[in-house]
Amino acid sequence: MPPTIPPLLSPSELSYLHTSLSLTPPIRPDARSPTSFRPLVAETDLLPAANGSARLCFADGTEAIVGVKGEVEKTTNTTTTGGRSGGKGGGKGGGIDVIDMDVDEVEEVGSGGEGRWIEVSVDMPGQRDDDAMVVFLGEMIHEGLVADQFLQNRLVINNRWHWRLYIDILLLSPPLTYPLPLLSLTTHLALLSTHLPAPVQGLEKDDDPLFNDDWDAAVPLYPPSTPTNPPNPTSNTNSNKKPTTARPPITLLVISIGSNIFFDPSHAELAVADSVVAVTIASSSSSSSNEAEDLSLLAVRTIDPPSRLSSSSSTTDADAGREEEEGVWKAKKGGVRRDVLGRMIGMCTERGGVGAEVLSGLEGFT
Amino acid sequence: MDRRRVNGPAGGTAPPVYASTLTGKTASAANRTRQPNEIRKIFVKTGLTPSASGSAYLELESSPATHHSKSLTNRTPALKLTCTVHGPRPLPRSAPFSPQLLLSTRVKFAPFAARQRRGYIPDASEKDLAAHLETALRGVLIGERWPKSGVDVVVTVLEGEEDCPLEALAEGNQGGRIGGWGLMSILSGCITVASAAVTDAGIDCVDLITGGVAAIVRQPSAPLQLVLDPCPSDHEEIVAACVIGYLQSRDEVTELWAKGNISPSSSGKETKPLCFETLVDLAVEAANGARRVLVEAIKESTEAKLESSAVG
Repeated sequence: MPPTIPPLLSPSELSYLHTSLSLTPPIRPDARSPTSFRPLVAETDLLPAANGSARLCFADGTEAIVGVKGEVEKTTNTTTTGGRSGGKGGGKGGGIDVIDMDVDEVEEVGSGGEGRWIEVSVDMPGQRDDDAMVVFLGEMIHEGLVADQFLQNRLVINNRWHWRLYIDILLLSPPLTYPLPLLSLTTHLALLSTHLPAPVQGLEKDDDPLFNDDWDAAVPLYPPSTPTNPPNPTSNTNSNKKPTTARPPITLLVISIGSNIFFDPSHAELAVADSVVAVTIASSSSSSSNEAEDLSLLAVRTIDPPSRLSSSSSTTDADAGREEEEGVWKAKKGGVRRDVLGRMIGMCTERGGVGAEVLSGLEGFT
Repeated sequence: MDRRRVNGPAGGTAPPVYASTLTGKTASAANRTRQPNEIRKIFVKTGLTPSASGSAYLELESSPATHHSKSLTNRTPALKLTCTVHGPRPLPRSAPFSPQLLLSTRVKFAPFAARQRRGYIPDASEKDLAAHLETALRGVLIGERWPKSGVDVVVTVLEGEEDCPLEALAEGNQGGRIGGWGLMSILSGCITVASAAVTDAGIDCVDLITGGVAAIVRQPSAPLQLVLDPCPSDHEEIVAACVIGYLQSRDEVTELWAKGNISPSSSGKETKPLCFETLVDLAVEAANGARRVLVEAIKESTEAKLESSAVG
């Protein structure tokens, strides 16, 4: 899956980039430090018809809009009340709605949230919607969102009803760089600004839900991280849990060149990257009591570096250790070393590291 | 009322629900009989498809049958994959010049691979697997030796794994379109079998790549535990898992896919902390195990080829 159009850089340009980026300390083309991000412009809550939305614009002109919409849906389950083991033979075929299921049973299955209640769709200009890259990006963002169970469980209204969340990601500009960080940060902001209508209190547990039509009374999907969290109003099953400061996850794109590690790579830097890794992190929801928040790692994926597609690359075993050699740069064969990989992850997740910095920066938008 | 046709009943009908014939509520399908650091037995054979330039077949044994697994619904699935490699062959005339071998990968579940039927049109999870496989393979192929040509790597999953214990499956709790942990073992198998097939096709690689999986699992009434090569139907809950495409002789990783709730660093108390580094190390261990089998299989098929060429 070629992430972008192969870079249109000459061999000497590539060689120059690679040399300056593998120096210690490295020199990036735009004179940033290895861990600094490009400036970005963001606004939230701009689409009046969506439950939450955000627009993010990077300095290189790439721009994305995310709209989040919620729909109330009936929870269907294939279990029948009496024949739990009897239903096994039919697999998923049945589709019988459960009318009176034990409350305990729902809690036992992790209070019911399911990953498929969250639908992520990515739209990129000039790409078919079944293109490998679009699928890959959508899966990756979805994977991060469902990894820490918080969002799914938050969507439960009661035993019979739940929210279905549609997250529609629209990339407005042509994909110049690998658009993953842009899309993930925009999704993060959109989810933070998402409000769902508040249910009317005082109904029976499994009644059809009624919602307050006052938009000002709507409850945020992710409760604001104040020490006094309101009791979770959207869901009865969750209200007795301890307050969490869960935030939506973000995905960072990290590249390594030689033994140097860079965050937020530009188009030119991606063209000479030895390895590209996407790391999904979130502030860990369990450590609400801790002062220094730990980050939890939700997903890691290696991405095919575009440098392997560039024209001149012929490094084989015979010439190992020829990276210092003068001349035309050639893309490295093989993969990334384990210690470099470990360092890349470590820089994202350590306390006071890049991940924490990005998360706290995004906090300012809400 | 149309009297020329057989009409269904006017009202809706409910499908009949039969009482269970299984004794015991859940018969505890979730039990692993292997040691935590023991991988499943692997069978690899190369060169089974004569029409392809390279091919391989890989099978992972299913868990041994126990008393409650006589029923068809309780049978634990095995993993069976075949891979064919077509090429290197010239690109069509219309294609633009490519200085190196163009790799295209495809992973397809056979319609009968899992409990649920899969259609013929690749769905999102199959495309996702193919993207992962491509990342894994592109790092090892030495593509410059075949300019202007392409190679197709097609993996067919003949029998895949269920994503979760069977009780949960019956509850319809399958976790949606992707995100099944079973996909991770399948990807690891895909990497290994594709590596064998590429070798069989005689395409130059920098090393033999093999896949390995490790996971953090929660067993009933036990703390979190690290296991190699998890079979999703053996465990009550998988907390996190990691697939790796590993080059042993270079100690490098071309493909890494981890997901779940992983604590990034060790807290330093336990001997085997449940952190990311340990998970990767264990996945590498599993990949090394697979490599031993792969090397033997390739040696065997090469000897067979030599013999047949000596006779012919």
